[in-house]
Amino acid sequence: METMQPSDSALISLYIAGQESAFAQLLERHKARVFTTIQLIVRDADVAEDLLQDTFIKAIHTLKSGRYNEEGKFSSWICRIAHNMAIDCFRREKRSPVMTVDTTTHPFTSLSLAEEGADDALTREESHARLRELIQELPAAQKEVLIMRHYGDMSFQEIADATGVSINTALGRMRYALINLRKKMTAQPVFYDQNLYPGDTTSVRVQRIAS
Amino acid sequence: MIKIFTQETLLRYVYNELPAKEQQEVEQALLHDADLAASCADLLLAQRALDGLRRAPSAQSTETILQYSRSFLRKE
Repeated sequence: METMQPSDSALISLYIAGQESAFAQLLERHKARVFTTIQLIVRDADVAEDLLQDTFIKAIHTLKSGRYNEEGKFSSWICRIAHNMAIDCFRREKRSPVMTVDTTTHPFTSLSLAEEGADDALTREESHARLRELIQELPAAQKEVLIMRHYGDMSFQEIADATGVSINTALGRMRYALINLRKKMTAQPVFYDQNLYPGDTTSVRVQRIAS
Repeated sequence: MIKIFTQETLLRYVYNELPAKEQQEVEQALLHDADLAASCADLLLAQRALDGLRRAPSAQSTETILQYSRSFLRKE
């Protein structure tokens, strides 16, 4: 049986009241999506690690000083901070578009290697690296919406508000982002390995309907 | 009556942003409309591929953040 997890709101209240373990839970819940959001923008794992720390430190200051506004979702708020910091950093440093993720020592990769065999894990890592490149090739507005929606957990309305466009524009950009990605992925057979594109799509449909 | 759903509605469906009633309507339509189901499957497959890129930060970064939070409390 699934245990009930406390909501982000409840954890924030506990944290503000002095319970440090509540913050640890919040961090555990959101760190991967925040990290991925940053990494897709700055394209450098070390810089992303630093910005992740800066993002959560800013959140700690806001929460503990009583300035946190409960109106929106915590996940959207923290990802907006991360997004802004990553964009600022990217503009400041004007990095060249090179991914420098150390895939040989990353814990996720090590786990994959152990679980599914070195060849499969390497194929998957190559596919993921290529997908990251394809995301970088998207028009800036499409890439922004894709990162905010898929990794930042912001709703289309929140994205529309944050970027100053209508919700239909945000939806349209996301749609074109996915169409563009799909076109490029279809053109490259590597994406049709079992790791990314299972042949039978029926099960995917059923999964969504049942969830 | 056959209700037509736009790609934008499907997008909101796969990201769980539709009101419950509209969500049910989409799910009913998916059972009977093969083209709609195929479009939906495409979106879900794209989602699945994007999910694969999700990465966790290092344990060291996590510990640094937690340490900062604990020390910030002591300063107050």
